[in-house]
Amino acid sequence: MNIADLKNGETFTVCQVMIRGEVGKRLADMGFTRGVAGTVIRSALFGDPLQVNILNYNVSLRKSEARGVEVLSIDTQGTL
Amino acid sequence: MSTPQTLRIGLAGNPNCGKTTIFNALTGSHQKVGNYAGVTVDKKEGHCAWKGIECIIYDLPGTYSLTAYSIDEVIARDFIIHEKPDIIIDVIDATNIERNLNLCLQFQEIGIPVVGALNIVDQAEWMGIFVNEKILGELLGIPIVKTIGIKGKGLDALLDAVFDRMKRATTPDRFITYGYELETEVNRLEGVIKKDPVFSSLYPVRWMCIKLLENDKNAFEKIKTHLKGDRVKKEAEESIARIEGHFGRDAGVVVTEQRYAYVHGAVTEAVTRTDKKNKSLSEKIDTVLINRILGLPLFLLILWCIFQITFTVGQIPMQWLEVLFAAMADGVHAWLPPGVLQSLLADGIIGGVGGVLSFVPLIVILFVLLSFLEDSGYMARAAFITDKYLHIFGLHGQSFLPMVIGFGCSVPAVMAARTLKNPKDRILTVIVIPLMSCGAKLPVHVLLAAAFFPKNAGNVVMSMYLIGVGLALSSAFVFRRTVLRGEATPFVMELPPYRMPTVRGIGWHVWDKTSQYLKKAGTILLAASILIWAITTFPKPHDNPVRYQKEAMIFQSTLATSGLSLTAQDSLIGHHIQTLKNSDAISASIAGRAGAVIEPVVRPLGFDWKLGVAVITGFAAKEVVVATLGVLYKVDNTAHGENETLRHALRSDPSFSPLIAFVLMLFMLIVAPCFAALSTIKAEIGWKWLWFEIVFTCSLAWGLCFLVYQTGKILGIGA
Repeated sequence: MNIADLKNGETFTVCQVMIRGEVGKRLADMGFTRGVAGTVIRSALFGDPLQVNILNYNVSLRKSEARGVEVLSIDTQGTL
Repeated sequence: MSTPQTLRIGLAGNPNCGKTTIFNALTGSHQKVGNYAGVTVDKKEGHCAWKGIECIIYDLPGTYSLTAYSIDEVIARDFIIHEKPDIIIDVIDATNIERNLNLCLQFQEIGIPVVGALNIVDQAEWMGIFVNEKILGELLGIPIVKTIGIKGKGLDALLDAVFDRMKRATTPDRFITYGYELETEVNRLEGVIKKDPVFSSLYPVRWMCIKLLENDKNAFEKIKTHLKGDRVKKEAEESIARIEGHFGRDAGVVVTEQRYAYVHGAVTEAVTRTDKKNKSLSEKIDTVLINRILGLPLFLLILWCIFQITFTVGQIPMQWLEVLFAAMADGVHAWLPPGVLQSLLADGIIGGVGGVLSFVPLIVILFVLLSFLEDSGYMARAAFITDKYLHIFGLHGQSFLPMVIGFGCSVPAVMAARTLKNPKDRILTVIVIPLMSCGAKLPVHVLLAAAFFPKNAGNVVMSMYLIGVGLALSSAFVFRRTVLRGEATPFVMELPPYRMPTVRGIGWHVWDKTSQYLKKAGTILLAASILIWAITTFPKPHDNPVRYQKEAMIFQSTLATSGLSLTAQDSLIGHHIQTLKNSDAISASIAGRAGAVIEPVVRPLGFDWKLGVAVITGFAAKEVVVATLGVLYKVDNTAHGENETLRHALRSDPSFSPLIAFVLMLFMLIVAPCFAALSTIKAEIGWKWLWFEIVFTCSLAWGLCFLVYQTGKILGIGA
């Protein structure tokens, strides 16, 4: 599953960045790397772009970019 | 290059890490600003003295990484590599420590000593993040000092750490190792690159190898200067292929993941986090300002307020300036005898430059408001809200604001496009901005709409705005798929915490923008005003007293039955002859002749030579078109109620029609913007795109107007 599959408020851990080239590199630089936890905070009016909290800061992503980040969803109990 | 008496310090860090406050606290008012060669990124440097030693501090652009992703990143790394500062102070935002350390490791890799300033520690502790800077420093192999930039705390200790580190300047910083697979490739490439001693002395070799493995475009460009550039390129490509085969992912991503893995290790050791979860003020503000439903209406409201404030409040000082320049022109008329010098000073220089300077209040007010939004952190939110709609047309969320400012004036709008970090996005935005109908085009629209569409004037003017927006978006759509094609620009953008803007910060932005505008007014626009004046003044018409006497007599005979007093009649006759002379002067001038020459070009659009002249003078400023029409239609500009008589004169011209009026409005909307805008475009995106802009707007204007006029004529609409 990827970040675009998640609902608002859902928490995740990053598995890996699947997008290649500059966009992938940028996502990794902004902290989307293996094992990092984050939360989808909200989306703009038509569900795009998304606001994601990661490493204690907020970042916006388009859905097309969010689809490139493979994640595991963590439910409220904290189990995978 | 540096003597022991001066220390050259590069100040670097992430955007929003508090770097500017540290820079200001260290240097006070001893700052100067320039531009990095060839780009419009500010180059700030400041001075300070510490224990008798002079320090020059270079404020590098804030970046997240050191890739070739944005101009800022390339500038920051090129500065360090080519200018070789003695030491780098890397400002690390403690609330966001992992992402900040990812950049810190990249500075260490370049091979210049790094000292870390762990900043915003007060906020971090409030959030429950406690950093042991001693342990962190030992793990990374660099000195780290805690600072609170806005309170000026920790800066003495920071400078002490810098000098302490300089005593061991010859020992390089420790740098991270990337694991067996990557290090094998690094070693192999190092061997190949070191075969060229000159290249190896110019660039840090290990750093270059890592950049090549990251598939960095700029590094591949630089490697072309290597003696065996082709061989290095081939080897690097093979290395990348091996890494991607092994890890199954993009090599650039792999390198970054290794850095983050190292950072996570260090942070686990040196940082303790308590569960104290204070909901920050920023989060609370965001639940309203970028609320799914409220976000867009609130944004539009803010925009509307900015517009109202700028163009209503700005109107007042703008009128003062206009009055002042008119008084100056009158003064010149009174002091100097009539002649070329008087005309040059009053009509050319004061009229032209004055017209441009009267926009200064607008620019100041607009940029006070915009800088407030920018520095507070709202600008990123505005991009978040609007990105969806603009992305459809190949634009970026951050294009929205500059385009809207374009309704006011293209000059500040083009400057505001600087917030776009990707060059292609910025060029695209700048190119379409002049299609947004600016404030100076409004008088033209209003005059023509009122004269020829008295019942629907408002709607016709409105249609110009809508056509402009439509053309801007559709040309963006086309260019994005042709001349400015490229990988979709990522929208991976930080939404920084809201901060209260400082007066100093806003003052700085406003001064920066205004001084650039003033500089332009004093140079290129001064020259342009003189040129426009010259082509509308020279050559002088032959003096023809017999003709004017005849005209005066004819006019007098029409007044004979009016019952006016003789003095009133004389004054009317005087006016009549003066406007006649003005008109003769224009038609004899280069501009008038040019109008006749370009008539065949504009004929298919329904324009005669007079409209040709009007169009030419419109390049000085769009509102000049109204004045030119006034002169050409022999209406005295200074008389009261000028617009009513001009409207009447236009309507009664048999060669004019509602269709032609509409086409003229359309033409003025699209055709190349005024000199002020063109020179700003040149300054921001260079000559090549300036010419592109001129050719694009002129051909689009002609093509579209041709279609509309010919279709209208065939269908008999508005003839």
